[in-house]
Amino acid sequence: MSFTTSFQNTRSGRALLSAASRLSMGATVLGAAALFVAPVHASAQVAKTAIKAGKVITLNGEPIENGIIIIEGGRVTAVGSQEDVQIPWDAEVVDQPGMTAFPGFVESHVSRGIDRENETLDVAPFLNVRDSIDPVNFYFEDALRNGIVVMNVQQGNDTVVAGQGMVVKPYGMTVESMMVKPRAGIKMSAAPKRGKSRATQAQALRGAFEDLKRYLDEMVQRKKDGDDYDRREALYQGRELEGEAAKGKALQSEAWTIEGFERIPRGEVDEKQEPLLHVIEGKMPVFMWCGSAADVHTALRVADTNGFTKHMTLVLDNSCWKAAPKIKAAGVSVILEDNLAHRERDPITGEEIETFVPKVFHDAGVPFALSSSTDSNRSLWFQAAQCVAAGIPREAALAAATSVPASILGLSDRVGALKSGADGHVVLFSGDPLSVTSVVEHVILDGVHVYDRSKDVRVQQLTDGTRPPGTVAEEPEEYEGDGEDDSDNQ
Amino acid sequence: MISILTTLLLAPALQGPALLASSALFEHPSEAPLQAPLQATTRKGSQAAKADGDAPKNSWSVFADKVYTSTGSTLENALVVITDGKISAITPGASANDDSLKATTLTAGLIDASAPIHLGFESVEQSSEVTPSISMEYGVDPFDPRWERLVRSGVTTAFVPPLNRNVVGGLGILLKTAGPETLEGRALEGAEILCGAIGGLPSSGNRPASGTPNTFYNRRPTTRMGVEWEWRKALFDAAQAPAEGAGKDVDILQDVLAGKIAAFIQAYPTQDIRTAVFLKEEMQREGFGEIRLVIDGAAEAWREPDLLVRSGAAVVLPPMPGQGRTVDQAFMAANTAKVLQDAGVPFALSANDARTEPLGIQAGFAMRGGLTREQALRAVTITPAQILGVDSRVGTLEVGKDADIVLWNGEPFEVTTRAIGVLVDGVLVVDPR
Repeated sequence: MSFTTSFQNTRSGRALLSAASRLSMGATVLGAAALFVAPVHASAQVAKTAIKAGKVITLNGEPIENGIIIIEGGRVTAVGSQEDVQIPWDAEVVDQPGMTAFPGFVESHVSRGIDRENETLDVAPFLNVRDSIDPVNFYFEDALRNGIVVMNVQQGNDTVVAGQGMVVKPYGMTVESMMVKPRAGIKMSAAPKRGKSRATQAQALRGAFEDLKRYLDEMVQRKKDGDDYDRREALYQGRELEGEAAKGKALQSEAWTIEGFERIPRGEVDEKQEPLLHVIEGKMPVFMWCGSAADVHTALRVADTNGFTKHMTLVLDNSCWKAAPKIKAAGVSVILEDNLAHRERDPITGEEIETFVPKVFHDAGVPFALSSSTDSNRSLWFQAAQCVAAGIPREAALAAATSVPASILGLSDRVGALKSGADGHVVLFSGDPLSVTSVVEHVILDGVHVYDRSKDVRVQQLTDGTRPPGTVAEEPEEYEGDGEDDSDNQ
Repeated sequence: MISILTTLLLAPALQGPALLASSALFEHPSEAPLQAPLQATTRKGSQAAKADGDAPKNSWSVFADKVYTSTGSTLENALVVITDGKISAITPGASANDDSLKATTLTAGLIDASAPIHLGFESVEQSSEVTPSISMEYGVDPFDPRWERLVRSGVTTAFVPPLNRNVVGGLGILLKTAGPETLEGRALEGAEILCGAIGGLPSSGNRPASGTPNTFYNRRPTTRMGVEWEWRKALFDAAQAPAEGAGKDVDILQDVLAGKIAAFIQAYPTQDIRTAVFLKEEMQREGFGEIRLVIDGAAEAWREPDLLVRSGAAVVLPPMPGQGRTVDQAFMAANTAKVLQDAGVPFALSANDARTEPLGIQAGFAMRGGLTREQALRAVTITPAQILGVDSRVGTLEVGKDADIVLWNGEPFEVTTRAIGVLVDGVLVVDPR
């Protein structure tokens, strides 16, 4: 490892070191998820996979005993019992009579897998997590291990208007190959960003839209005045002015309009403003963080004023359960943090009041999705199981980690249930997905067998502390630069 | 704002089983009072206020489809009868009475063998690193809401050790998690246990007294080696001190060497576990006595189970971390409990004051790591009772034992299961109805 020593004090040097030590772990270690199974799909023909399992939980009707799932070209083409469904002669067969097939969990909102949660900029709608997702981040590997098949990666909560997020699957060497939905939504926060008061936060959030409106008004005025400043700016930035973008269109917004907006070709709108324009037009979903029940009020007001309530999902701190009636009235869906029990002390009696938050939303009839942002002990199976313990029906608890987030992300046709036409994602559990003793044995993503627990080097270490021979990374010399002992944790 | 207020008022209605812990129902004559004055009990002046209240109902019958007794047997359709706070009959194949409490399964009340429920750093005596005669009696608040959290999760007995920032922190205290709001009313007469720590934590925050102005951080030890040295010095000094008149601290350490008081030593990584075992063996070699060793927080116990077998130590495992790492940079494998089970090391699980997942879930994680339900159950009931010397009173469902019972709505330790009811000394503290 002598070639690395000259880089030892730089950030890139460390990344290189880390990559080098991964590579030395064996030929299979090429990416976060790639360390388990090298897919064998070199042939040009449409890949076909048949998965036979002792039980298939479809989440689209009753579970099927001795079921089978056929995936062709990355899409599910048939789900049924083994007696009814014919296996194509050229399909690769995964036969696991002792296991339970499951559509996989859908992570509704997560700020992991990226290098940094938030920029210091207050209003940065032009940023995109595409540029910060790290395909070899441990998070994706860990998500796969917990049966999560797609995740909505959004920027963090410490913001006013953060960048755009995207839905990815936890497998692939590049962001492009992981991509499921590129423009999944934009992250905003109604809760005070660090250093802001509640009032300045609310003002900054409102201000972002007021700035947009003023910017568009000025653009129209310049156009009317015959000033081609915007065209020159657009050309200078090299933006495309051909096709649709070259035509002006009236502003399609519920809440406010800009008179004369049709004069402006779309390509002339500054890309710093364009994402918020898409929010106004209802083309870009919004994920709004609320750190307290009071923030819910701010969030709903801003959304209502700017006409994007229908496209907004609230990302809630557990204290926000107190705003459940207001949320119900507004008709928005919510994403809950992974600490499901809210605790507070009665200020007079000193008694602790514990509230199980999903139950409040379930009882109020608000669609809620679970999320798991912290560690793998609290992953989505655990969250859903806790809901069952608290008396939420099993179907609703499972939906909160599958079909509800799928619907929030606009992916109902693709993920969250095993049905014909859905993406070819199947998770094989050793038993019931919500049982504490069940583990994820295999994951098939888009018809490709990407995870096999028996070949998962790290799960073996987590389970019994041992690493199989030949997989132990050679400890690079002079690695202990950051004072943290993470060399064993790789 | 209005909606917030109204939902606040609705809050109790939205909860699960009502928790009765702080109601006036709890007054019953306290057991043999401890000799020391107990400051915490007078904080709310509740004793005087409730002096002539009614005694709480402590006779019930509980029916469940399945009763896990912790003695190795599982009874189907069993009726457990409780009379005056004790279990008076257990009848399998019975049917429920009209007024029976009902549950899917029953277990004995869970016992958390390491629940540091006290004021945290405010409970660390800074004047010395070796404070054997300090007792947690003076640092525990029965009004701390974490007690209610423990009860709600099914824990009925908890051992409270001092925080791990002193080398020899003092005597721990064993309490029921509910009952009279006085320490003497909740205390259990168990083994006397001296607690301390080995490793990086006692020295963390200490600074050598040079350069900077003097603060209480300027104290020894400042390294792992120094921590070990403090232990050895304390025990050597005690062994060489006269049997009488050398002071309370020395008396306690002499009792530790004589095996009358157990030594409950926190050690996470394997190097610290080794240190604890070698310390015990050194004292034995020197002829000072045989220490009864309990290793707390033994996250890396899986690395050298044979060493633990050789030492005869019992083990208390910390909560299962999400990515393997516990405090003090130890790595806890998921099958740690299973390794100890197979090696025959007595071990208990703990949830460490319920900041992470509660004890029942820790038992579930141990099952995920390879234990059977029965083995996991023992690790949170009878084994901690034995380690703490209270197995004659708690830890199993048997006639004559304290009626500490958890009512579950499914198979215990599954995440999909919850403690719907809890009885402590026959008093219903979490109501399943």
